[in-house]
Amino acid sequence: MSLLELRTEIERRTQEEVSKIIEEGKREAEKISAEAQAKARALRDERVKALARELDEQERAELATTRMDLKGKLLEFKFEWCKRVFEEAEKRVSQIAKGGGQEYRELLSKLTLEGISRLRGSQFVVEVNPRDVEAIRKNLKAIQQKASKIKNKEVALRIGSLSATTLGGIIVTTEDRTQSYNNTLEARISAATRNLVGETYRILFGEMKE
Amino acid sequence: MSVDVKELQELIEQEKSAEEKARAARQEAQNAVQAAREKAESVIREVESDPRWEEMRRTRKAQIARGRAELEEEHKRKIALLEKTAQRNFEKAVAGVVKEILRVET
Repeated sequence: MSLLELRTEIERRTQEEVSKIIEEGKREAEKISAEAQAKARALRDERVKALARELDEQERAELATTRMDLKGKLLEFKFEWCKRVFEEAEKRVSQIAKGGGQEYRELLSKLTLEGISRLRGSQFVVEVNPRDVEAIRKNLKAIQQKASKIKNKEVALRIGSLSATTLGGIIVTTEDRTQSYNNTLEARISAATRNLVGETYRILFGEMKE
Repeated sequence: MSVDVKELQELIEQEKSAEEKARAARQEAQNAVQAAREKAESVIREVESDPRWEEMRRTRKAQIARGRAELEEEHKRKIALLEKTAQRNFEKAVAGVVKEILRVET
């Protein structure tokens, strides 16, 4: 090999090596870049999905909370109206009792008879508001007759005055104090409130669905 | 082959130059790889700081606010309707309760 050939060979090898090194570097750089792009795409896709899930969850939770709050307000609204009905009913019943008219006197008789019919025995004490003592006394004989008819035996009635103030109505107690039937207006209002809530809601709000 | 000293020195110089070129090429390749790595890191970082995420959050927040406003509007309509119905039926309901309070079984 001549010197010139040797130099040419060195030149060729050098050029080849340099090209190879540069080419390898370039390929490595391209590979890194391609991998990074792919990783970024995958990360972005994953992030989009994760964030969408997170936001879906947040939306569901926030709207569910709002729905619950509004549902609570709706129930409160209905409850207030229902309460108003019972308060108004109590007011009206109380006015009937205070008026002491024929309707109320008849009611006292009926309440007494109902009480007697629910208790055993034949001797009873009918306790009323001091205001109503006179009203019941006027009808005592008639009540006694009807009570005897219900019991199929002679019934003895005595009038007592309730110490505690009541809106009206009566408490019937057996003379020996072993049985008692509370038929005061408060007791009846309380029972009506317990029993009529559902029906009152239905009447108040009709057939409307929530 | 006979080589004189001068030519030998030139050959040595050429070899040295070749080595230098290869070293420079390695450096250039290394720089390209390093630049690619830095760019790759930056591409990954960009994913994290993509303004699209904030935009998605803002969009969803607005959507939730609209949803909430719709629910509240619907609630107001429902309450208004119930209010009218309750006002219309109030007397009937009170009468029913009063009747039950005064209803006596003998």
